[in-house]
Formats: sequence, structure tokens, C-alpha cells
Amino acid sequence: MAIIVEGRLMTFILMIIFFVLMYYFMSINKEQQYTIRAMPALQAIPEAVGRAAEMGRPVLWTPGISGALNNSSQGPQILAAISILEYLTEECVKAGVHLQAIVPLPDALPLIEETMRTAYLREGKPEEFNPDQITFISEQSPYLSATLGYMQRYEPASNIFVGGFYYESVVLGEAGNHIGAMQIGGTNNTHQMPFLVATCDYMLLAEELFAAGAAISQNRDMLGSIKGEDFMKVILVAITGVGFILGALNITIIADLLGM
Amino acid sequence: MASGHYWVKSVDSTREAASKMSALSKLADIDRRVFYWILFIALMVPFLNPIGFPITIAPNTQDLYDGITGDQVDEGEVWIINFGYGVSAWSECHPAVTVCTKALFREGAKIIFIGPHYDVELTYNKLQDTCREDFATKEYGVDYVFLGYFTGGESVVAQLASDIASVFPQDHFGTPIGDIPMMDGVEDVHDIDGVLSSDTGDYGGHFMTQWQGPYGTKLAEVGIAMNGSTDLPRWQAGNFFGVSVGSRGGAELELLIGELGEATTAMDSISVSHLLLVLAIIIGNLGTITEKLGGKE
Amino acid sequence: MSNVLKQEAVYAVTGIVTILMLVEYFFFADTQVWAETIRTWAVIIYNISLGLGAARLLISHSARVSKKGRDWQFSGLLLGLFAIMLLTGFAGYIMTGVQTNNGIYNWMFNYIYTPLGATLYPITGFYIFSAAYRAFRARNIDAALMLIAGCFVMLKNAPVGEAIWIGFATIGNWFQFTGQVPGMRTFAIVGALGLIAYGFRALLGKERGFYAGGGE
Repeated sequence: MAIIVEGRLMTFILMIIFFVLMYYFMSINKEQQYTIRAMPALQAIPEAVGRAAEMGRPVLWTPGISGALNNSSQGPQILAAISILEYLTEECVKAGVHLQAIVPLPDALPLIEETMRTAYLREGKPEEFNPDQITFISEQSPYLSATLGYMQRYEPASNIFVGGFYYESVVLGEAGNHIGAMQIGGTNNTHQMPFLVATCDYMLLAEELFAAGAAISQNRDMLGSIKGEDFMKVILVAITGVGFILGALNITIIADLLGM
Repeated sequence: MASGHYWVKSVDSTREAASKMSALSKLADIDRRVFYWILFIALMVPFLNPIGFPITIAPNTQDLYDGITGDQVDEGEVWIINFGYGVSAWSECHPAVTVCTKALFREGAKIIFIGPHYDVELTYNKLQDTCREDFATKEYGVDYVFLGYFTGGESVVAQLASDIASVFPQDHFGTPIGDIPMMDGVEDVHDIDGVLSSDTGDYGGHFMTQWQGPYGTKLAEVGIAMNGSTDLPRWQAGNFFGVSVGSRGGAELELLIGELGEATTAMDSISVSHLLLVLAIIIGNLGTITEKLGGKE
Repeated sequence: MSNVLKQEAVYAVTGIVTILMLVEYFFFADTQVWAETIRTWAVIIYNISLGLGAARLLISHSARVSKKGRDWQFSGLLLGLFAIMLLTGFAGYIMTGVQTNNGIYNWMFNYIYTPLGATLYPITGFYIFSAAYRAFRARNIDAALMLIAGCFVMLKNAPVGEAIWIGFATIGNWFQFTGQVPGMRTFAIVGALGLIAYGFRALLGKERGFYAGGGE
């Protein structure tokens, strides 16, 4: 009797290889210093905050309707968006800019509030944090109307749309364009990427969203995990390439192995 | 004098060209409200005067239809239809769900209806209306059951795979699940023969991760057009045995089952709006090119 | 102690749950009772958070009404409607035992809330129109190629395209199934890798912002 469930062996092996690679570059290979390519969307955050400071208007951050934190595809996007929120909050505190977060996610609320509070504390201005900077509104349509209403009334200078977006992406993006806001988008939802690309000035695509935290902090260990990820990509590309060539020759060994 | 005349003419022609140029370059920056009004008016035309362009069947829609008809479905099979859409997406999802319900009922399958949208009851009632004749031949609790609303996202989809009764101890109308004849022996993923998820969000993806991947459950998706770019790779990879994309998918399914309905009617509007959009893009580019040429001069 | 509770304990619980769920997925073909219990807890916790969200909404808007802050009238309206929906919803449940079985509740839900929600969705069509008009510009060769491919796919999706020229469907299908689908699949795979890497960093306590302002 097999120890591992039939059909999941290769997934297990690849997952272990991935974890080992990341752990190696994060914690074992300590000598090497890693660099990551610049991400224009992240570099634009201080510019977005500066613009708001000059115009005397707020900055809006919203993670999209996403889903619950326990959702395997949306949850990590929300967490990655919160990583960006932390940086954004710090920048806003430094520049004295009002940051408004509109959140439709009840389970992420405590995390968002704590993240913003901590960022204010870190910048030495805990008294300036006001819980009213976070607006909670559940369900897609009410959330969308509330965000559109906020944009119309307060005309934020910059909008940061990062997280798990659905149809609200194009509506928010266009509304932001209408008020002339500078916009930074980011999502891993493939069906919404085109809309954010079309409506935002800068964009974090797919894995860039997850790598944002590492890119902001320039922490060596975090960058090491990105290096491990890149090695994993090379392995997967190699498997795909070999599988493609062998498949063309009617040799199905790679497909059979992956199906184990 | 001649040269002066020539010079004057030259200035005139340059001014004329520049004025034409600036008029054309305005095409690059037309107020969006102009387009909204044109679209609004143009969309009314096919409703008042239907055109009826022919429709061809996409392979992903054909696969969906084939997977829920003929040899692919045996009498007595138990299927789940997940209403992952609300009233707002009725126009895109409901026609396809209607056809799938009809097809499954006609093959003798039993259906469990569930939904993660707060207005799931309205969608269920709408289905009762759009599949009136088919529901009339079936008995509630024996051939179909409406378990109703669920919340909790992907965790619930995973939980349904292991124990349906723990998520739905009773149906939508308050009947304990143990008292529903159809649910006798239907306890978990192993007792379900197929799932059809219709979504504005990603419940199809949740069923793929929690049902199709680990247990090999037959799974199909009826998505809004926006989700097509995500759903089609999953169909090509074999995760979904078929996919219906937006109103167009619904119209194709209506054609396949031979009962034209709401989606077929909507196709004329789709044609008009898409054609207008292509025209708008051409106009915008005309403006941009003119601007570029003007800039170079 | 508070630090232990706020961070280390959270890391420990997350780590244990992750390992347990991975063990169930890879080593057990059948559902395990302990994994089922964890999933039930996930559902319960999420539903509790809905209550917390509602409480926060009430506190925030009550404060705005009492302070007569900007647009406090809207907050008052929200509180009033909240109370009506809550009371009528519970009244229906208490009297009949069936959820949402109350005339006022159903009327407000079916004839106010649902149509308002349904109205918002079609706005997307208009916004996509203006977004496409602005974004689809042949500013360089890449943008021009995308524009052409987009137009073919649009005309392929609309029956009028095939009526004009059958080639729109053939070429549009080629762009969609040979060009766009592999591209989207690449995004899906790369995104999944990024997601796993993020999860790994978070589990090791390295990720910025995770667990409320960790990182550096």
C-alpha cells in the first residue's frame, strides 16, 4: 500500500523541492547578497503619497471584494495587499497624508487595523491613527457603491487597488480615472488583470504582488525565497520543455511521472 | 507677387491641414459620456428590432453539452448545481444554467441546488420559472432538492466534500436533510456524480481545488464573460469538462438543446456593443495617429 | 506574555494547521475527522467575523451620528435600515422557524436591495467600453499587436463578426486558444508559485505585514 495518495506523489516531491530551495537561499546560503529588479509600481507609492500631500487630498487603499482569508487563492492576495498597506501607511504618516482604507472583508479587518496602528506607532505618531480610517462595508455591490461614493466626495489624489479583485476592478479604475487620480493596481486574479492594466498607471502582476513585501523591505532572507522561487521556475520550465519534446515524439514518460 | 500668392496659399493650406489635424486629433479624447449615450441608445435598437445573426458553437460549449447529455449521464445520477451568481448576473449565467438543468433532468439525473449568494432564493425561483415544464415532471425531495445558501468560501466547499450534512443540516425550507428521500445515501463527494458551478466569482475554482483535483469529480463551469480567460485554460487542461462563457455560451447551449431563449435574444445586443467598441477603438486610434503626425511636424 | 500570544502562538497555530492539512491531503485518501474539524472551525471563525464586522459598522456609524460628523445623515439612515432588516429578519425566524420568512424583510430585500445591486453590475459594460477606448491605442508595436488581437477576439465573440467575415471567428479563436490561454496559464502557474513562496515566508515569520505588522 502506497504511503502517499495515488496521483499526489509528484506534487508532494515538487513541493518538497520548492520548500528546500527556498529554505536554502533564505537560511543556509547566508553569504550571498540578493538583489531584485525594481518594480515601478512599488517605486510609485512614495510618488502617489507625495502627490496627495501636494494636493491636500487623501490616498485610498482597497483590497477588492477578494474573498475570505481561508480562500486558497484570495487569502494570500489579501495578506500581500496588507504588506503593501503597511508600507503605504508608513509613507502616509511621514508625509502627513490621510489614508483611507475601504474593506469588504470582515475576517481581515482586525489584521488591517492592527497593521495600520503598528505603522503609525513605528513612525512615532500613534495618536494620529483613527479607526475611522478603515471603512468596513460587506458584499460586492454595497462595497462598490461606498467606494465610488468616497471617490466622488473626497476625490483622493491616489488610489491603490491591490488584492483580489472581481468586476469592481474596472468600475473603480474608471471612476478613479474620471477624478484624475494616480492609480496603482495589483492582483493575481487573471480575469481582472486586463482591466487593472487598462485603468491603472502602474501594475503589480501575479507573483509581483506576492513579492512586493520582499521588494519593499529588501530583507535578505525574503529575497532569498524569491531566488528559490526563480530556481523552481527553471525546473518547471525544464520539465515542460522536455515533456513537450518527448510528447511530440509520442513518449509520455514526463506526463506519466507527473500523474503519479 | 506670384511668389507672394504662392506663399499665402501655402499658409492657408497649412492652416487648413492643421485645423483638420486638430479636429481629427480630438477623436483621441472624446468624453466618455458621449460613448455611454451612444451605447445606451444603440443597445435599444436590437431589442426593438431583432436582427438574429447566426451563431456557431464553440468547442468548450459543445464539450459542456456533451458532458451532461447522452451516455455521459446515467439515470439516477446525483449532480450539484451551484448558483455562484446573483440577480445582477442573471443575464450572463442563467440561460446556460437553465439549459443545463433541463438537460440533466431529461437524462433522469437528480439535482442538488446550492448557492453562496445572498439572493440565491431569487435565482432558484427564477429557475423554477425558466424550467417550469421540466420541474412539473419532477418531485421535490425525490428528484431535486434546494439546500439553499451557504457562506464561508472555499472552506465550505472543502467541507461539503467530506460531509454535506454538516454544512446543510436542513434544506432551505427547514426540512432536516435526513427526512429528504433524495439525500438518503448522499453524504459526501463520493456520492456526487457531477458538479456544475455557475459563477461571477471563483467557486468553480474552489470545486476544482477541493473536488475535481483530489477526487476526480466531473466538473463544468458556467461563467460570466469576464471569467472566460480564467476558465478556458482550465477546460483545456481537463479540469473542467466543459465551459460556457457569458451570454454567448448560453445562446450556444440554447441552440444545442433546440430551445431558444433569453441568451439568444441578447446576442443582437452583444453584436451591436462589440461592433461599436471596435469602431470606438478605431476612432480613438485615428485621433492618436493624427496627434503623433501633428507632433512630428 | 502578550507578545507570545500575539505572535508566537499565532505562528504556532498557523504552522500546525498547515502541516495537518498537508498531511491529510498527501497521506490520506479519505477525509480525516481532525481535518474536518479544522475546516468546520474555519467556517465558524469566518461567520463569527461577519458578526464582528457588523458590530464595527454599528460602532463606527453610531459614533459619526453622535458627533454629527460629515454626512452623518447617511450613517443615521444606515443604522435605521440595519435595525429594520435585523428585527424583521429575526421576527420571521422566531415566528416561523424559517430563515427570512417575513413580509417586510422580503419586500425590502427583493425590491430594494437586490435591484440596487443588480443595477450596479451592468455599469461594467459602460466602463469597459470607455476603458477599452482609452487603453487600446497603437502607441508602439506591442500595443498595436494587442489591439489587433483584441479586436479579432471581440468580433469572434459577437455573432456579427462571423456575419461580416467568417475569418474573424477563425483568427479570433486562434488568438484566444493559442495565444491567450497559454499566457493566462503562465500567469496562473507563476502566480501559484508566488503564492506558495509567500505562504512559506509567512510561516517562517519573515513576511512583512503578516500577523499585524511583523517584518521590518
